[in-house]
Amino acid sequence: MLVVENLSVEIAGVKVLRSLGFELKAGVRSVLIGRNGAGKTTTLRAIMGLLPREGGKVTLDGREIQDLPSHERARLGIGYAPEDRRLIAGFSIEDNILLPALALDLPAAERKRRLEEVYAFLPQLAQLKDRPGGGVSGGQGKMVALGRALMVADRVLFLDEPFQGLAPALALDYARTLARLRDHRPEIAVLVTESSPKLLDDVADETLLIERGAVSRA
Amino acid sequence: MLQTLIPLFVDALANAALIFFVAVGLTLVFSVLRILNVAHGSLYSIGAYVAASVGLWIVAAGLPAWLTFPALVLSAAFTALLFGPVIERTLIRWTYGKSEAVQVLVTFGLFLILEDLQRMVFGVQSIYADTPMALLGISEIGGIVYLNYQLALIGLAVAVLIGLRLFIRRSRTGKLLAAVVADREVSQAMGIDTNKMFMIAFTLGVLLAALGGAMATPTTGVAPGLGADTMVLAFAVAAIGGLGQVEGAAVASVIVAVAKVLAIYYAPALDAVAPYLVMLAVLLVRPYGLFGAGATRRI
Ligand SMILES: Nc1ncnc2c1ncn2[C@@H]1O[C@H](COP(=O)(O)OP(=O)(O)OP(=O)(O)O)[C@@H](O)[C@H]1O
Ligand SMILES: [Mg+2]
Repeated sequence: MLVVENLSVEIAGVKVLRSLGFELKAGVRSVLIGRNGAGKTTTLRAIMGLLPREGGKVTLDGREIQDLPSHERARLGIGYAPEDRRLIAGFSIEDNILLPALALDLPAAERKRRLEEVYAFLPQLAQLKDRPGGGVSGGQGKMVALGRALMVADRVLFLDEPFQGLAPALALDYARTLARLRDHRPEIAVLVTESSPKLLDDVADETLLIERGAVSRA
Repeated sequence: MLQTLIPLFVDALANAALIFFVAVGLTLVFSVLRILNVAHGSLYSIGAYVAASVGLWIVAAGLPAWLTFPALVLSAAFTALLFGPVIERTLIRWTYGKSEAVQVLVTFGLFLILEDLQRMVFGVQSIYADTPMALLGISEIGGIVYLNYQLALIGLAVAVLIGLRLFIRRSRTGKLLAAVVADREVSQAMGIDTNKMFMIAFTLGVLLAALGGAMATPTTGVAPGLGADTMVLAFAVAAIGGLGQVEGAAVASVIVAVAKVLAIYYAPALDAVAPYLVMLAVLLVRPYGLFGAGATRRI
């Protein structure tokens, strides 16, 4: 469904991604494993159009999307939970979750439907909804970032190191949530990045390795 | 004592209202685009020129005099729509991602262009169109005489402050702007067209500057140099309040205007420098301004 080919990125004159490629298939959960600084975040940001590319192609269902402005990916059904959560501190949790729906100007009924679906999948978010974005714990924030990404992720979901910094119990909880996602959204392609492979054994259908900006299949 | 002080303070608040319009526009553009538009004051003076010309024309054409009121606001809107989108699309957009030095140089260039443009179009003679001021007249309460136009100005400033707050908190566009201010990259990834937001914020900034200029015309003549004077004052106010702070701009406008009045009353020699002395004092104690918090961004 989403194919990345020959993706190259330079940051400050240093080659960070070297012509890397992989494919994400519908209904398949892939894990991208790599050490700190291997290029996981850069790969996701480049696919999201948040970084200039040296070259390469990204296609979604055969359509080239690499040159689209960044904001158009949400409308195509690509959800993204960045590293470090990145919630809007001054917005309530609910407004944070609703942000993509607001950005796409979805009709009120559709906005509500999607929000309720997210709450049904992540009930703990309904309890937090009136708190400010800056007033939740790291673990709660990861769930909010997941919920926000799910508002638009009809096709593809990118989660950048969701386990980083989570206490073991919370990490287990998050891994279970990802396992449940298989039943909840069976048809989407999911890519989760992680620096250690352990946590994702139950989650991954496919494992990709990234090392010094190049991807290989495990 | 009160008989002389109260009119002075009403005078100060009316001035504060005008400064507030410009400063809040400057601060809004800064927080969304992260660009300090050095030409912002010129858009105040263009708004003033347009409003004064239209006002004089309405009177000369023998049209009903009350039309000069809507003409003030429409002149500001016309100025904003004529200049806002085109300047943002061309010059300003070109500076995104470039260094602050480049941004200051480019907007300073724009300032020079706009100043020349005003001399070419409106000449160098002072223009004075005070019909709205004369129409509204005065009221006398408790033996003190008030200029009704000044009271209206204060009311309008309060309405704009509340309106901006509601716009940012409640409306779709306002919330998207606030998200862009807080985190530009995440906003893009969540589907916000940041370029569109930049254009909207810049045009809104021009509208506020031009509104300040237009509303000032009934109280004072419009002449070359107004843009530069206004820019310096608006910057001082925005810095005192904290760049990017809407309420900060409001409070700082009042502080600066009151400081000016106090200076006129107690130390006339300091009248012109009073705003900058206040700025210096505030920035020494709070480098990000009264409402600024350094790292956290919000509007
Ligand atoms: N803004 C930047 N400026 C300079 N170098 C950068 C920048 N961002 C990333 N890099 C470099 O690019 C490489 C890949 O970084 P990236 O953040 O993609 O790694 P990562 O796999 O996500 O690491 P982590 O596990 O620490 O999140 C690193 O060598 C990093 O130093
Ligand atoms: Mg990373």
